[in-house]
Amino acid sequence: MTQVLATTVVVASLYALLAAGYVLVYRATRVLNLAQGDMMTLGGYCLFLLATAAPGSPALSIATAAALSAVAGFFIYRLLMRPMAGHPIFAAVLVTVTLGILLRAAIVLVYTDRIRHPLPLLGLANPPRRLPGGAVVSTFDLLTVGAAAVLFLALFAFLRLSPLGIQMRAAGEKALLAAQRGINFQLLFALSWALAGFAGALAGILYANNVRLDPSLGVLGLKAFAVALVGGLDSLGGVIPGALIVAAVEVLSVRYGDPLLADVSPFLCLLAMLLVRPWGLFGTKEELERV
Amino acid sequence: MLKVSLTLVVLAATAVPAAAQYRIGMSAAITGPASSTYAPTYEAYKVYFKRVNDAGGINGQKVEIAYEDDRGEPQRAAANAKKLSEGSILMVNASTSATYKPFMTESETEKIPLLFGGGVCPREAFPPASPLIFCSTSFGSKWDSRFALGFIKEQAGGKKVKVGFAAQDIPLSRIELEFAEQLAKEMGLEAIPVVVVPGNTPDFTPFAQKLKDAGADWVLSWALWHVEVGVFEALQRIGWQGSYLLYGHQQTQDELTRLKAPTLHAFGGNTLFMENLPIHAEIGNLVKGQTTHPAHYMAEGWVSAMVLEAALKKCGWPCPRDKVATAMAGVSVDTKGLRGGPIEWTADNHYRKSTYYKVYRWDPAKNGIAPVGGWTRLEIK
Repeated sequence: MTQVLATTVVVASLYALLAAGYVLVYRATRVLNLAQGDMMTLGGYCLFLLATAAPGSPALSIATAAALSAVAGFFIYRLLMRPMAGHPIFAAVLVTVTLGILLRAAIVLVYTDRIRHPLPLLGLANPPRRLPGGAVVSTFDLLTVGAAAVLFLALFAFLRLSPLGIQMRAAGEKALLAAQRGINFQLLFALSWALAGFAGALAGILYANNVRLDPSLGVLGLKAFAVALVGGLDSLGGVIPGALIVAAVEVLSVRYGDPLLADVSPFLCLLAMLLVRPWGLFGTKEELERV
Repeated sequence: MLKVSLTLVVLAATAVPAAAQYRIGMSAAITGPASSTYAPTYEAYKVYFKRVNDAGGINGQKVEIAYEDDRGEPQRAAANAKKLSEGSILMVNASTSATYKPFMTESETEKIPLLFGGGVCPREAFPPASPLIFCSTSFGSKWDSRFALGFIKEQAGGKKVKVGFAAQDIPLSRIELEFAEQLAKEMGLEAIPVVVVPGNTPDFTPFAQKLKDAGADWVLSWALWHVEVGVFEALQRIGWQGSYLLYGHQQTQDELTRLKAPTLHAFGGNTLFMENLPIHAEIGNLVKGQTTHPAHYMAEGWVSAMVLEAALKKCGWPCPRDKVATAMAGVSVDTKGLRGGPIEWTADNHYRKSTYYKVYRWDPAKNGIAPVGGWTRLEIK
């Protein structure tokens, strides 16, 4: 049972990192960023690129890969999303779908579909760790949980305490009022995309070191999308219970039910939530109308 | 003057005869989720037949291969099959089993031979073979399980062992390992029900835990590489002490070196390039700078290209579809050590008369990959 619990927390942490990107972009811009899974893959390949260029410098490679992904997020907004202002939201969503396809194609062109493992290039190992109660997880499993915890604490602190964060919340909650107060929307939108890029990259970097790196990792983004919707698309706080529920159902279905259910369980959770509470656990009802 | 020039241009254009050549159509999963398994076959074909053409072709004719990417998707494969059958004497499929149906239908309708050169061999290639279906791929459904379970039994040395099975959520993998589960029981091994793993699971631990809790001494996996190895790594992490046997795809050499796990065994029909045979050096020199995958990913495609070359040589010129099918049905190819023996086709066996398997693992004493015994030959009846 402790192993089930440990695995649930690890999977939930990965989903939470990815889902944070969906929520950040949606809260600020009302756009569903369906390229979030591919931004995760991009983060993993940024790390692979840096690890190949400068082997044996893990801290530098990881930090630079995450920073590069944040910069990529910024430019995605500046070059692709900003020109969509004034167009219907669905057009912007389609741009994110296209972006995801292009990112995947570009990665295949440069790196092919071969499975990569940046860990040896970084000079790191991923030994198993025994937890109290007997569960065993990998070192990068623990780092994933830690990264998710730190990211969410930092995001909560940023949104509640920093002037920019407060402006971001204000813009997300009452856009018109915030505009009348002279808030720089362009900066906030760009920042939300950069943060989404950063969160996605963290997930990609950790997953690439823990499991593997290949261009199809973006599929995990779909499961995280279900997490964001279960938690509430405009609620960062909702991501955590959403991720835990989806991950628990997925892990329990493997352990005690049919392993084949694992793949569809996030979408069963989503379906159940849509039937009972379409705006998600902590989302606001009016937001759904905007969607 | 202008009239003369125009006449000369027209004459020059019409004087060039239509290039007589062997025209082949190949559909492969060059991109897409399964491309890491199939794209190297496409690359091997390109390099192989470039060399053939540079050396003057076959029977004085160049070999022209039209390549189409199907991404492993049946819809694209159906379009490719139609396109490639036009004007070709033979089609090659190096893709997922999901693409087989449209190609086999096209082959039957248009009476065009079809060579599977990278994907798992369909049952139509086995005796009694369909006249137009051929397969050069090293792995073969059911035969792989027969060998794998025989190997496990031999390694157990008469001791009672429990065998677990890690399949992927694709029909081919499930069918193969469900067959293996049944066969294991018939062979006197204790079989744990097959655990089916979704290809895009975020964590393999729950699946591994299921196998560990069931008390598996050995686990056999026959799936795409990332699933095979993902389950193994999770088992290793949670402290499982058993042995693992998986089908060795092109990634085997890289991955055995990365994992350095003596309990991980990879079986397959191709010799690993770490054995440094002359043919390995030859391939290494030819593909240098020509392919995106390294030389040790080329074995599967290289053997397939060797078989095709032999068939075209035997066919002579001109070589219409029916003649190439007849030529293929009697082909015998020395694989120069890439496989454990030759590929020999007969009128009713388009898989091969005998198939060969070898197992490799990481040997800590040698600090390198080492074969576990020699080749095992299975006669295909």
